Amino acid sequence: MGSLYSEHRTWLHGLPAWFKLLAFVLLTSAQYVVSDLPVLSAGTALCSLLFVSLGRAVAPARKLLLSLLLVCALILGFHSLMGQLPVGVLSTLRLLSASLLGIALTLTTRSGELLAVLEAVLSPLQKLGIRTERLALQLAMMLRFTEHFFVVWKRLDDAHRVRTGKAGGLRLLAPLTIHMLTSARRVADTLEMRMGE
Amino acid sequence: MKSSRSLALVSLFAALLAVFGLIPKIDLPLGVPITLQTLGVMLAGCLLGPKRALQAMLLFLCAVALGLPLLSGGRGGMAVFMAPSTGYLLGWPLGAFVTGLAMAALPRATPGQTAASAFTASALGGLLVVHACGVVGLVNIAHLDWTKALLGTLVFVPGDLIKCGVCAMVVHTVARGLPDWQFGGRAVK
Repeated sequence: MGSLYSEHRTWLHGLPAWFKLLAFVLLTSAQYVVSDLPVLSAGTALCSLLFVSLGRAVAPARKLLLSLLLVCALILGFHSLMGQLPVGVLSTLRLLSASLLGIALTLTTRSGELLAVLEAVLSPLQKLGIRTERLALQLAMMLRFTEHFFVVWKRLDDAHRVRTGKAGGLRLLAPLTIHMLTSARRVADTLEMRMGE
Repeated sequence: MKSSRSLALVSLFAALLAVFGLIPKIDLPLGVPITLQTLGVMLAGCLLGPKRALQAMLLFLCAVALGLPLLSGGRGGMAVFMAPSTGYLLGWPLGAFVTGLAMAALPRATPGQTAASAFTASALGGLLVVHACGVVGLVNIAHLDWTKALLGTLVFVPGDLIKCGVCAMVVHTVARGLPDWQFGGRAVK
């Protein structure tokens, strides 16, 4: 499963992941404190400029961007119908700037780099007995299971089509769940053999 | 064994949520889509119990935040946590936890009883709690007033009640197919 990361190098790719994440958190928090329309408009214009400066790297996020614009239009339309246009404009500007920053971060930072930052941030929790180093293993297993789930779903659906001539749909959910639960048990046994717990 | 089993089950249910995300969403005028993923929240609570269900939801949201396009319609990244639907997304871990708690507390002596308990637990956690969080999100992010946000979320209730029914049916089949399964994370006393 591919992430939204863009291989097309931009100036933002060169910045360290921790710096981008910190800037993202600070900027998105700041815009929720500010409710001055000119300041917020200027902030959104800057975020848009930053996003546009990424050039062709934004191509993988085209669909995401379209749905964002649709949601912004809906919020604006809804508030204007209710006679609360200024509130709608504020909400739309906040949503737009935060989303553009979020998409820019995702496009220019590999999942692995963000994961490393996350593990470092969570590492103090190890003192409380929480095993944060397992996050990477769990994410890898999750992606593996997702592929496996999909293959099994397809196989069950094909079998159902052969028997009945129709797609299985939600009828396949119960056999799929049983299949996956037994698979999880087998995986747990394997992990126990390897990790000894 | 307990630890490796937890690891496998948590990853498995996070994956189930990702698979449900592959099924196309239906967009509604509030900017909050109807997806099958809330069914994953209900199933996780009923089949895993509160703690593991909570971990599975957090793992899934962590993967989404890291940029994997796992939400319905191929959405992912930090930006999805700034949308009007953020309240619903953040409500998933809490909803799964409450579903698990309710499932552990409700009777599970027979497959029929287990299914009825699953319906009640899903309605409580997967529907009531998730929608409560969603309304808070709509009020704070889309700046709707409470009445409009509440009315808006009611659009989802019939569909979610059907998901509670589907969840109960799956639980019924699992109770018959895997009689030793500990629903709600606890063995029947």
